[in-house]
Amino acid sequence: MSGRYEGPGGPAGAARAGLNGTASAEGAPFGFDSLRGPMPVDLGIRILRRAGVPERAYDRYSLVEGPVVALFVAHGRGAVTGAGPVDRYAGPEDFEEQHLLRTGRAALPAGRPLPGVVGALRTGRDRNLRYDYGTLPESRSRVLEAVRGIPRGQLRPVGWLGAEAGVPEATAAELLEAVRSGPAPVLIPVHRLGDEDGRPVDCGLPAVLVERLRAYEGIDEERLGRFAAAGTHYLGSGTTRIFCYPTCAHARRITDRHRVPFGSVAAARRAGYRPCLSCRPVAA
Amino acid sequence: MPLQVPELLAVDLDRGFAELVRSHGGVVYSVLLRLSGSSRDVEDLVQDTFLRAYTALSGYSPERRGALQPRAWLLAIGTNVWRNHVRTLTRRPVAESGVDVGELPLTDGLPGPEQRAEHVAERERLVAALAELPERYRVPVVLRHIAELGYAEIADLLGCPVGTVKAQVSRGLAALREMPRLTQEEVIR
Repeated sequence: MSGRYEGPGGPAGAARAGLNGTASAEGAPFGFDSLRGPMPVDLGIRILRRAGVPERAYDRYSLVEGPVVALFVAHGRGAVTGAGPVDRYAGPEDFEEQHLLRTGRAALPAGRPLPGVVGALRTGRDRNLRYDYGTLPESRSRVLEAVRGIPRGQLRPVGWLGAEAGVPEATAAELLEAVRSGPAPVLIPVHRLGDEDGRPVDCGLPAVLVERLRAYEGIDEERLGRFAAAGTHYLGSGTTRIFCYPTCAHARRITDRHRVPFGSVAAARRAGYRPCLSCRPVAA
Repeated sequence: MPLQVPELLAVDLDRGFAELVRSHGGVVYSVLLRLSGSSRDVEDLVQDTFLRAYTALSGYSPERRGALQPRAWLLAIGTNVWRNHVRTLTRRPVAESGVDVGELPLTDGLPGPEQRAEHVAERERLVAALAELPERYRVPVVLRHIAELGYAEIADLLGCPVGTVKAQVSRGLAALREMPRLTQEEVIR
């Protein structure tokens, strides 16, 4: 039986010389490449559990299909430790490697995402999630927490973040830098930041994605464009004498008859209006 | 890659081990799957391999952990685990060897979407041919071409001269080429 394998007979012998002569260029004869693959999902975590490796030593991650974009979402000890749109990575391994670089922890694939993540993506509300910002400076994590405070379907100018996060002296560039350093764009709604007129800013996400996320949340860009053209940055209500950001839920229900546009906080103040307590435009 | 497994292992055993499982789990799984030929016990074999690795690492000094060649080292453990497993199996009357070709899912003869089925069928034929290969060729071929270990590493692992490994790999490939399952048009280009 084995004699059959010994002889380099016939056409096999010819091919063999070529294969064997170039050890490094052998590459993948026979398509051996197709026989290399990842472990089954969850096997790695089962191994770590059985070995008794404590949970603080590693994270898990899963692929979560959001309504606008699919995300890798890593979590550990009940908190989100990192997330990003799938198409920003060359593949799962790229995400794993970047996660290791940033956090120092391995991210192992898990079948089930962190509870609450799917819902947060669907509803655009991530209030019941916790984030582990790792080694990020506290001032930066406060900025990111402020971004989380922007409600779904609303926009805030970058300058607003400074006062919200308790770093009023920070410049817009510094604030945006903090936003871009965030570990979980999309899940943390960085696309809800804008300039004075609500136009997208460099929040670290591709412009096309920002556009789609905003459209999904029902942000009316056309309405914003009209306000921008008229130099309107705030809307007041003639009945309540309160002024808001134009995308604030309260501003959107002001009837045409009572809507009073303002270009600046000072103008609104002069007219005897006070800032809204929900969207807090006072710092702008 | 600024952060390598051995460095991480030297600094922090638990985090390093988690990264070892993440980065090398796939290759250990793929190799053991092809060595044993059936997917039935592979997950157990992989778990066993890593648990042994963890126990061993716990006893190593940080310097020794930092000097590790993780892939070759893990596969040495994995090959031993698999050998022990085969030995246990042969003692049982049910299965005569670790390779159970009958269990392999052959797509041959199954009608399916043409293009994908063609690709899958090709892969399955290779899987089956590999499983039929005698052990002394299969082990070096798998270590060389699936694990992508160097000849010297394989020789170390199997405890034989480098020349022997080269010869076995090349004979193994020649044998695969002669398998009736792998038709010439498909494999040799």
